[in-house]
Amino acid sequence: MNQTTIILSGAAIILIFVNARKSGKQVEGFKSGLKLLLNSLSLIICAFILAGMIEVLIPVEFVENWLSKGAGLKGIFLGTFGGMLLAMGPYAAFPIIGSILSAGAGWGTVVALITGWCLLGLSKAPFETAFGGIKFYVYKTLISIPFCFAAGLLAHLAQMVLV
Amino acid sequence: MKKSFIFILIPTVILALIAYFVGGIDLVLDGLTVASKTAGQSSIMLIVSFVLIGQLNILITKEILDGWLQKFSGIKGIIISAFAGGLFPGGPYIYYPFIQSFNNKGIPFYIFIAFIMGKNVYDISRVPMEISLVDPKISLVRYLVTLPIPILIAMITRRFFQGKAMDDVFISPGEKE
Repeated sequence: MNQTTIILSGAAIILIFVNARKSGKQVEGFKSGLKLLLNSLSLIICAFILAGMIEVLIPVEFVENWLSKGAGLKGIFLGTFGGMLLAMGPYAAFPIIGSILSAGAGWGTVVALITGWCLLGLSKAPFETAFGGIKFYVYKTLISIPFCFAAGLLAHLAQMVLV
Repeated sequence: MKKSFIFILIPTVILALIAYFVGGIDLVLDGLTVASKTAGQSSIMLIVSFVLIGQLNILITKEILDGWLQKFSGIKGIIISAFAGGLFPGGPYIYYPFIQSFNNKGIPFYIFIAFIMGKNVYDISRVPMEISLVDPKISLVRYLVTLPIPILIAMITRRFFQGKAMDDVFISPGEKE
């Protein structure tokens, strides 16, 4: 059992006690949660499969090589969209980003890469479209892109000033 | 929910077909293995989180939420939601159902987006990994330069959509199920 599960379990136990004391509706809460889980299960399973297909279809080496060549403003641009392509969780994405930094990428590229992964990462897209709809996904993506560039640019300027 | 399922099923089938044509049945099986591994690792967390969501739904009634939103709307609401998102544990399969469950209680879209962006950018559970696997200096710079992003995006969203709920913004009346 990982740390997140332990925290969530602790929070759930506390809330069950609070609901039991406050309204006595803790069983209703269980039913509500179970109903929501059953309603969302097909979506979640499908999203897991989609995320798995994305992960195997985007070669890690391709992203790594493509971004290592980037530098400066070009690197920020490449980093933003490269981060989007890093369709994987933090355990897989951060070592790749670390290796790109070690390969000589600038702060701007790396920060754009992390921000692009955080805000645009394709691994989240199945859940975003499933729960928010396509219009929400498009809105979130379009509004996030300039901020990824801005974050990369600020980091690039910070490197120029500080290093 | 049926429409959402069909919507996600189509790209899943298309990508599975692409995987089949690119790398044969082995690549499709690789994708399914990755998916089942993630699902297996997350199954207990998922069940626990839905228990939590169910209890929260009982505890946080529309009246309580209305009270909070009146108290913490606008910029104060944005900041609180963004940081709450950053503190919220679990992956997108946990926080999307969580925040979605408040949708029918009329939560404004800008509060929704502040929470999602806060989760995406701040995510406190990711900090140790980012520091250890990338670089502490880069991680610090990254947190500093991205700190205002969730708040700015939520402010822009508020300017565009005011206090409208997500369903009112993105789902036309005919689409509501």
